[in-house]
Amino acid sequence: MLKLKLNHKDDLFKFILSIFVFGIILIFLTVVTVILYYSYPAVSRFGIAFLWTKEWDPPKEIFGAATFIAGTFMVTIIALIFAIPLSLGIGIFLEEYCPKFLKGFFTIIIELLAGIPSVVFGVWGVLTIVPWLRKYIEPFFKSHFSFIPFLQVTENIGYGILAASIVVAFMVVPIIASITKDSLAAVPKITKDGALAMGATRLDVIKDISLPFSYRGIYGGIILGFGRAVGETIAVVLLIGNQAIIPKSIFGVGYTISAVLANTFTFAVISPIYASSEVELALILLLVSLIINIIGRNVLQRVIGGKLSRAQFGGG
Amino acid sequence: MTDINKNNIDNITENNKDEIKIEVKNLNFSYGDYHLLKDINLFFKKNSVCTILGPSGCGKSSFLRTLNRMNDYTEGSKLTGEVLLDGKNIYSKSVDVVELRRNVGMVFQSPNPFPKTIFENVAFGLKIHGIKNKQFIVERVEKCLKYAGLFDEVKDKLHKNAFSLSGGQQQRLCIARAIATNPSVLLMDEPTAYLDPAATATILDLIADFKKFYTIIIVSHNIQQAGRISDYSGFFLDGELIEFSKSGDFFTRPKDKRTENFITNRF
Repeated sequence: MLKLKLNHKDDLFKFILSIFVFGIILIFLTVVTVILYYSYPAVSRFGIAFLWTKEWDPPKEIFGAATFIAGTFMVTIIALIFAIPLSLGIGIFLEEYCPKFLKGFFTIIIELLAGIPSVVFGVWGVLTIVPWLRKYIEPFFKSHFSFIPFLQVTENIGYGILAASIVVAFMVVPIIASITKDSLAAVPKITKDGALAMGATRLDVIKDISLPFSYRGIYGGIILGFGRAVGETIAVVLLIGNQAIIPKSIFGVGYTISAVLANTFTFAVISPIYASSEVELALILLLVSLIINIIGRNVLQRVIGGKLSRAQFGGG
Repeated sequence: MTDINKNNIDNITENNKDEIKIEVKNLNFSYGDYHLLKDINLFFKKNSVCTILGPSGCGKSSFLRTLNRMNDYTEGSKLTGEVLLDGKNIYSKSVDVVELRRNVGMVFQSPNPFPKTIFENVAFGLKIHGIKNKQFIVERVEKCLKYAGLFDEVKDKLHKNAFSLSGGQQQRLCIARAIATNPSVLLMDEPTAYLDPAATATILDLIADFKKFYTIIIVSHNIQQAGRISDYSGFFLDGELIEFSKSGDFFTRPKDKRTENFITNRF
């Protein structure tokens, strides 16, 4: 039996707070347990082949996740291809070149961007990115680059993998950019001064000192951005075209795990195996996000949280 | 101006010892509303060691940073007056800051090796100044490490990370790095502040030896050290140069009461 001393108000307060914390752990465990429990029928029926089965046919009760996994990773990777250079550029500019009075302003803008609800981003994408792709980009690629695999335009509707990727990229940029900025800020000034005092230009300092010093932090930021992109739902639902096919081109329509869950889970409950298959999709997403977040946070903690210790460079 | 490809270490120029290397004229430096340096006038002779003394916040480090234009990066700062290096104002528009800093090396308060190998640290300056000849770089790195008294300790681990060295070794590495570009002036900002007595003694011996090759300007708050190694000493207080003279006179017959108070530890 737990012996509690409640003599002081302080102890009581501490006790109540620890119940809250315990509650959070309980919620986390409940989520994992429920997802595992309800996905079990699908896991036992389809086995590991669920991951590479392309069919998703509720009437015939054949379920495979391959199309959604493919869509999810295509959107994530293309979004990162756009977001990484843009974010690094923004982070480097803010930390190394930006005048002080503008730095605060830009930092606030980036934080605001990170706080915009994803459905708003989705709506914006439908109103701007989709028509832009349909009117200009897709016709251009259709007439000039149709011989390149993955760049063929078949439908020319604007919606699809690329539209979703562009909008997800904008949602990921604030994460990677602000972590890049913070990682660069953690580079000791005296080390940068040392290089400047030798006649290095600012570009030399960024290339030879700042980036090598902070690459772990930036790497962690990219992993967190990856996590965000993998799980992004509403904006993708609005833009990707929502068809369970493996896209043959970045202009093709597709589906992601999160998008199919958002669109169909409420209907899926009519059939136990349909519902269970969808819960298994949720399980895949949960595992991927958990793993990515654990890796990303670990990397970041060692850099920003734990200070840039000289020891980590030791023994080279 | 000496060329990066030559080596001071091989061509000692004792003959023109009394020539003036750096002359500072009416130097004023302010940061925002804060007037950090007030009307500084002094000169440094070739191949001499000069120590700038003063309590914390007196402007001595800022002064040092005006000599290689490191203050260029301080936002909101303003500088007037002249700093003549070999008779040429380093603040005139035609001066190439990159070449200036090649010629005026700097060693910092705490060791600041780059996140690179020992070899790459010393070769860094050569690399950024566009030297590509590998043989030349290898020879220069070895020579500089030898002159910094570090070569024997690191010759078997040149390609290990510089952070694997001790603090004293790191500071000697930074000195080797600073002389690799063949400067004629070395600026040192309290180079022994964070070192233990043994490492400090090694660095001080190096400095005494180095004046054959370089004009050395050291910022320090350590009076005993200054007396031991420097030919000239200056005393800064609240951004003003109170006194500047040969070290012998400076320490035995200070002209200003405030200098006397400082060197007898009354601050």
